[in-house]
Amino acid sequence: MADEQRSTSFQRLSSDSTVSTGSDDSYEYYQTDIYEQLPSTLTKRRWQQVEQTYEVGSCEYDLLPPSIDRDPHQPLNMLPLCMQEKRNLRDRRHQERLRIGFWASWRQSQQIARRRLREQVGRFFSGLLPWKHTLHKIEGRFGVGVKAYFVFLRYLICLNLLNCAIITGFVLVPSLYHKSWEDYKSDNKSILHIFLGSGFLEGSPLFYGFYQKIPLFFHTGMGTILFLSLIMIVRRMVVGYKHMWLMGKHFSLNVSYKVFYGWDFCIQDPQAASLEHSFIRNELKMDLEEQRFRQKVSERSMKQWACLYFLRGILNFVVVVLLCGSFTLIYYAIISAEKKESFHWTVKLLMNYLPPITITVVNFLLPHVFSRISMFEDYFLTTQLNLTLVRSIFLKLGTLAIYIIFITIQNNTCAENEFGKEMYKLTIFQLLACFCNTFLIVYLKRLLAEKYPSSKLARMIGIQEFVIPLNVLDLVYSQTVTWVGVFYCPLLPGISTIKLLAIFYMKKFTVMRCCVPAQRLFRTSSSAVLFHFMLLLGLIMSFVTIGVNSIRSDAGCGPLGNDTMYSVMDKFVKTLPISAQTTISYITSEAFIFALILAEIIILTSFVSHGRANRKTIERLKDMLVMCSSDKRYLVKQHSTWLRQRYRSSETEALGK
Amino acid sequence: MGTKASKLPKDLLSEYQELTFLTKQEILLAHKRYNELLAGEDRHLPSPRVPMSKILTLPELKSNPFRKRICYVFSTSELRDGSLTFEDFLDLLSAFSDSATLEIKSHYAFRIFDFDDDGTLDPGDLEMLVNCLTGDTEDTRLTPEEMRQLINNILEESDIDKDGTVNLSEFQHVISRSPDFVSSFKIVL
Repeated sequence: MADEQRSTSFQRLSSDSTVSTGSDDSYEYYQTDIYEQLPSTLTKRRWQQVEQTYEVGSCEYDLLPPSIDRDPHQPLNMLPLCMQEKRNLRDRRHQERLRIGFWASWRQSQQIARRRLREQVGRFFSGLLPWKHTLHKIEGRFGVGVKAYFVFLRYLICLNLLNCAIITGFVLVPSLYHKSWEDYKSDNKSILHIFLGSGFLEGSPLFYGFYQKIPLFFHTGMGTILFLSLIMIVRRMVVGYKHMWLMGKHFSLNVSYKVFYGWDFCIQDPQAASLEHSFIRNELKMDLEEQRFRQKVSERSMKQWACLYFLRGILNFVVVVLLCGSFTLIYYAIISAEKKESFHWTVKLLMNYLPPITITVVNFLLPHVFSRISMFEDYFLTTQLNLTLVRSIFLKLGTLAIYIIFITIQNNTCAENEFGKEMYKLTIFQLLACFCNTFLIVYLKRLLAEKYPSSKLARMIGIQEFVIPLNVLDLVYSQTVTWVGVFYCPLLPGISTIKLLAIFYMKKFTVMRCCVPAQRLFRTSSSAVLFHFMLLLGLIMSFVTIGVNSIRSDAGCGPLGNDTMYSVMDKFVKTLPISAQTTISYITSEAFIFALILAEIIILTSFVSHGRANRKTIERLKDMLVMCSSDKRYLVKQHSTWLRQRYRSSETEALGK
Repeated sequence: MGTKASKLPKDLLSEYQELTFLTKQEILLAHKRYNELLAGEDRHLPSPRVPMSKILTLPELKSNPFRKRICYVFSTSELRDGSLTFEDFLDLLSAFSDSATLEIKSHYAFRIFDFDDDGTLDPGDLEMLVNCLTGDTEDTRLTPEEMRQLINNILEESDIDKDGTVNLSEFQHVISRSPDFVSSFKIVL
């Protein structure tokens, strides 16, 4: 059979040569017959033969490609073979194991057993994660991007649950143990207080003021939560960053990505499939256009540049004005919410919620304005989207920061409680806003579009798109509020777990019932870094807030009494035995810190040089690859010219006879 | 559907668990779905095959532009007609399962994209691949000029040894740089 193949390819080669005599590039070198006999190609050839012959039932082990079974410890299910081949391989390994003696075979089987146990445990834990089925359904209809949003949401829920557990263990249980329930007067109950966080909630475990007498537990709990969150987020960000760095300028693989895994194999819905087709087409065309656009940019004249920069300057100025305007609006909202006049209770509720309402409305409207503005700036589409996103991040965190600053500088008898109350209100209001957005705006839009598909209004409004980045931004914002508030309102993680659960189901409803996916492909990995970076910014913001507050806290009403966070630590250290005290004082001394910093510098330097060496090796290996392949090509060409000459000479001989 | 034929022996089940990435439940579900596809008279054959046309009616594959390639790659039929035995079907699901490794997935992805089965992705393969992605009709295809530019871009990026084609190791090199691939190269029943 191999002979036959060779002769056909030989004929192909010879007919090729008669068509275009002499020219060496008339055929691609990988179509020549010697190429098919190269060991690297042979792997594949042989392996196809195995596929064809195994059904007869013969176990031709020798036919297995050498590269596939190099490592006898590799699990069988990791091999790209069909079932029968895996079975044969397993039998062969078994026989080999009999040959190598008792001890080694026992060790191998132990290894296999351990691996299976690990797999089982891993499966058990991944089985604990909820909503697998829901996510699968969403994935089938909208692809990986929308699913990534829900996975992120689930991650935040898990994070908050973990925080809840820590709070219960460190803060809630000890304080309930210390405090008898008689202290806690529960008169004055009304539904209004649930929204305002006042009245009976004021002295409840919800807020900072409740936790007296347990400063150490309280601070350990809070510290654990914040540092655990920091570690988790930094870890996830580093993973994402590594991929982004790898994908960055050193290895530019943009187009190849889009082609090699452009298709989302999870998609089942035919409509979604046709959408995906058009996404990919648009994306590819966009890329090509971007290439042309870059060329156009490089040809721009001086005057055009000047005009463009002028326009961009004006638009940036507009953006800054809008931001400042929204900040002032929030300032006035806070001022007017401060006025304590006796109104009807509905007006009072509204006044109390004025700052959260303003923040939410501003955060809802301005990103749309930003995306309109960035259209005029003549950037390319990806830059436009990123610019809108960055501006929105700035807006969201900025408004929150302004709000926090104004609350902090107000003088109250129990400033911490007030602060906790504001964060509580923000959290509650966000839930309400999400509810309203889902059922009053998105759902009604959808109903309108379904009932009167031909009406002008419906066509003008259109169907809502599920814009993933903005939705993720909302989640980041809510998590930031939770982190900032957790110190002053320790039950906030619990509340936000419930809130996120509600948001999960509402967003699921939005996606499944009301939305079409956004008109742009969304790559998880490329944006994951940005999202986690935003999350990190929020966390840093909460660190700063708590740090600033802990310095300026004077007559507090919480666990600290008249102390600051640091003096409590000092007092605690003094109660320890002498040996522990000396250890702690050594650890905090300059000598130890100096040694620590030195060690860190050394470790970092070694890592940096390691990275540099690796990069150089990669370059060298690439060069070597190119060299090898050109050698291969040269040899193949030489060989086929030689073959052709021999064929021709034999032909002339035959003619001569 | 008939339940008497859909009993999977226990030792076979545990063997499948060992040789694939699938869990017990997934294998049982696959068996049920496979038996629904199998014609009644074939069920009593020693190793029955489901023809490709029937496999393609699965909703998980129906709207996939690579469905025929997937069948061809996983089929062990001598006729190369894309028909699948139950074990082939399990191989397919294992490679596309959640827990399959990046190596396995990229290996099979390469074979699926290698339309002419010659062991490399040459410009012809790439063109067919792009056509599958954008939809293979007159008005959805890219123009020849765009296609040429695109293929040039792809080769410039991924063809490390500059031989004009993308081979398996180059392909895996590209794929290994993306964490997204494992999550999108997935078919779950």
